[in-house]
Amino acid sequence: MADPLHQFQIVPLVDFGTVTLPVIGEQQLAFTNSHLAMTVAFGVVVLFLQVVTAGAKVVPGRWQSAGETMFGMIDGIVDSIIGHDGRKLFPFVFTVFTFILAMNFIGLFLTFTATSQIAVTATFGVLTILLVLAIGFAKHGLGFFKLFVPSGVPWPVLPFVIVIEFVSFLLRPVTLTLRLFGNMMGGHVALKVFAGFVVVGVGGSVGLGLGIPIALLSMGMTVGLTALEFLVAFLQAFVFAVLTCIYLNDVVNLGHGH
Amino acid sequence: MAAQTPELVPLASDTAPVDVATTHASTEAAHGEGGGLPQFEFQHWFGQIVYLIFLFAILYWLIARVFTPRMRRVFDERETTISTAVATARQVQAEAAGQAEAAKAEVEKARADSRAASVAAKARVTDEANRRAAEEEAVVNARIAEAEIAIGKTRDAAMANVATIAADTASAIVERLTGKAPSAAEATAAVKGAV
Repeated sequence: MADPLHQFQIVPLVDFGTVTLPVIGEQQLAFTNSHLAMTVAFGVVVLFLQVVTAGAKVVPGRWQSAGETMFGMIDGIVDSIIGHDGRKLFPFVFTVFTFILAMNFIGLFLTFTATSQIAVTATFGVLTILLVLAIGFAKHGLGFFKLFVPSGVPWPVLPFVIVIEFVSFLLRPVTLTLRLFGNMMGGHVALKVFAGFVVVGVGGSVGLGLGIPIALLSMGMTVGLTALEFLVAFLQAFVFAVLTCIYLNDVVNLGHGH
Repeated sequence: MAAQTPELVPLASDTAPVDVATTHASTEAAHGEGGGLPQFEFQHWFGQIVYLIFLFAILYWLIARVFTPRMRRVFDERETTISTAVATARQVQAEAAGQAEAAKAEVEKARADSRAASVAAKARVTDEANRRAAEEEAVVNARIAEAEIAIGKTRDAAMANVATIAADTASAIVERLTGKAPSAAEATAAVKGAV
């Protein structure tokens, strides 16, 4: 049976050789299958948005309608979570959403899923948290640290609460990273395993009497899981966007509300 | 699904040595620490991260500067169009309501006019009828008066005749009784006294 993890292997397509960087050590510079998947996703997003907005009319056509739904959905969550100040942050959330969504979907059509690479999801997670920190310090200065001191907590438990809040803040990029990574990788591994069973079943190594039912069942599972993966692909992009909004809201509206 | 995961790890580690020994020997060697998940081959991280940030920056710029403003413009335009259309519709509706009001007033006026006309006509007809009735009555009254006069004359004539007849009769009676006819003057005086 084929190795279900083989699909996550980074394969250099155009190799530029290796360099040794100061802190991070030896790095291979290459245009890999991961770069290709990212580029395709990027291209698809740009193409889609171009098609959607180029001849935008007051009465939308099919493509524009689809784009407007997507746009309106993200605009809606940004507006409802962050409030009026969220308008300025909309492009960031929309970029995150569309880019992740495109990578997830491209992964279901092509052989490589960029968002199943932890390097990619970690970049998204860290970018988001860096933006949160940047807005937090730019808007509130050192008042940013009030984020860890929730109001209305009695003083004896305050130290514990502060520690918990601080640790949970530190874990935000980690959870953002691992949630997306784990979902995408898990789904693709499951797909590959069941698809592998189909090959094993019809391959004859377990006898066709047992093999054909196994193959049929596994084929059904693969089809079902593929449908599920489309849902997950959308859902994870959406969840990432929603969490981005929630984390941004924490610092944009720091001090009022909660 | 959870049951699948534990057997994946042995699968991976089972196949890895085979790969190293056979087909993927060169790549596996290049991966160095190898073994676990391919995602933890850190020598590929830098290239991916830099490239992703690069693409992300371009995409962000495009979305922030090009696509979002275009979308917002369409949304705003739509909102303006709709509100203008609604305002126009309201205005037209108000106009229609005004016209309906005017039409209603007109109908009301026409109705009042016709009512007045009918009342006037009725009055005129009544007057005419009254006038005619009065005329007829006058004619009839005149005739009645004429007839009464005629009757009076006839009666007077009759009465005169009656007196004459009575005088004649009286003179005839007197003549039969007495054998001697009274004079006409005597008879007439006697009748006049009796009648």
